[in-house]
Amino acid sequence: MTIVALTSERRTAILAQTWAMSRRAILALARQPATVIPSLVFPLFFVALGTAAFGRAIELPNFPEVESFLDFALAGAIIQGVLFGSITSATALATDIETGFFDRLLASPTSRVSILVSRLAGAMAYAGVQTMVFIAVLLPFGLTVQAGPVGVLAMIAGGMLTALAVGGVMSAMAIRTGSSEAVQGAFPLLFILLFLSSAFFPRQTMHGAYKRIADVNPVSHLVEGLRDLTIEGLSWSAVARTLLISGSLAVVAIAVALRSLRKRIAAR
Amino acid sequence: MSHMVDPLPTRGDPLAHTAADPRRRTTTLAAAFGLALRSLRNIRRLPSAFLPALLMPVFQAVAFSGTYFGITQLPGFPTDRSINWFLPLATVMGSSFSGLGIGFATIRDLEGGFYDRLRMSPAPRRSLVLGPLLSAWGRTLIVVTIVFVVGTIAGARLTDGPLGLLTLYVAGLGMSTIGTGWGLGLAYRFRDMRAAAIMQLTLFVGLFLTSAQTPLPVMTGWLHAVARVNPLTNILRLARVGFLGDIRWADCWGGLVAIAGLGGVAMLFARRGLATLDD
Repeated sequence: MTIVALTSERRTAILAQTWAMSRRAILALARQPATVIPSLVFPLFFVALGTAAFGRAIELPNFPEVESFLDFALAGAIIQGVLFGSITSATALATDIETGFFDRLLASPTSRVSILVSRLAGAMAYAGVQTMVFIAVLLPFGLTVQAGPVGVLAMIAGGMLTALAVGGVMSAMAIRTGSSEAVQGAFPLLFILLFLSSAFFPRQTMHGAYKRIADVNPVSHLVEGLRDLTIEGLSWSAVARTLLISGSLAVVAIAVALRSLRKRIAAR
Repeated sequence: MSHMVDPLPTRGDPLAHTAADPRRRTTTLAAAFGLALRSLRNIRRLPSAFLPALLMPVFQAVAFSGTYFGITQLPGFPTDRSINWFLPLATVMGSSFSGLGIGFATIRDLEGGFYDRLRMSPAPRRSLVLGPLLSAWGRTLIVVTIVFVVGTIAGARLTDGPLGLLTLYVAGLGMSTIGTGWGLGLAYRFRDMRAAAIMQLTLFVGLFLTSAQTPLPVMTGWLHAVARVNPLTNILRLARVGFLGDIRWADCWGGLVAIAGLGGVAMLFARRGLATLDD
């Protein structure tokens, strides 16, 4: 009985610690708007730019049936914003390592897992806010989410799970290198991953090697799940692609990040 | 007669610092070449600072032409090869970022104290602007050449002979002049890495508010109105003229005027910014 009581107490303590550190991570993002505003503004800028530049592209053969390019562009904007926003959270973790705060946490009786989970929770919360902001800003300009409120909720969940996946990979990098510069240096890799997908234009209009790369890039399928919710409506296939792909990637990414954390702690 | 055959002013003569003095001109050029050489050597010593400016346009040319391959099927699109449309954009963007790279290097020199030593040296002030500009041109020649070679392998073709390559290089050098002047001017005024973000953001946005992605007749709404009056559209048209059919003077002069105007203003912005360091 004593053991069970202690375990339950410990579990409560871990939850309290995780909540406190998650709150710290979220507040840090809110207190430093300069670090998060680019990942909100840039995707919206590209949507505005793309809608004006490629507005007539919806007349192309093989282009998905949409009322306007804006509907098509939303999914790409969400993934773009979430990818770049997740770097901010991982950079903050690397900064904690650089400044010694991470070591102080390790010296305290804090749960090791909660150090990582709290940062990822910050990234997820921010991704949820980003998705809501993108939809709210674009609605007055004619955006229509065919899947309705349930679809919007699925999109928010998809965005949050994607943030968990990208945040996990980037956190693993932060823990391994302990350098915020190295994490920032991964930005071009995400940029390449995004461009070699159907985030900005449909796969059906691509051809050759480029199309083959986009076909196997998981980002393409993730974006297309979100896009189907916007332009086709609510369907199991769209929800599954939105949540399962990002969820599976998140599981792998968290495992990698936890492994990196264990290695770092063991090396101390 | 003595005033007519007056030799070069002596070492201590204050008149030695007049602009018309040929020795002074030689000193300016020598100092500028020295600074340019130092900056170009830094490519080898610190490749990580230059490689992004080289690799990003290469990637951009390939990625944009692959992603937006279908756009060439739209009525009014001037080529059926997407790489012919996006290669000049990538070179122009890479060239402008080669210029901005000089701005980043100057911030590093300002923060590290090297620039204070430069300013204390007898190097003429104008060489501190001219040297980085020469270096930016050197970097631009590398960027344009490599992007063109990779683009050609990816399927880009000149449509009116080698003259199209010349217009591409001229547009690239022009954009790098604008980027250098803008980058240096901001670096001198902010003196820290805040300037780097402003440099990149403004030039990036400025370049995308043009016919960067689609030609003017294809785009719609607000972007058409902005791109039509954006002088950078003319520079892009100059860069593309050799890839979209016959080279006509009507497609070139606007770009040349834009380069002369914006380049001149940007270099003046840099020169004035340099003066603020003495305040």
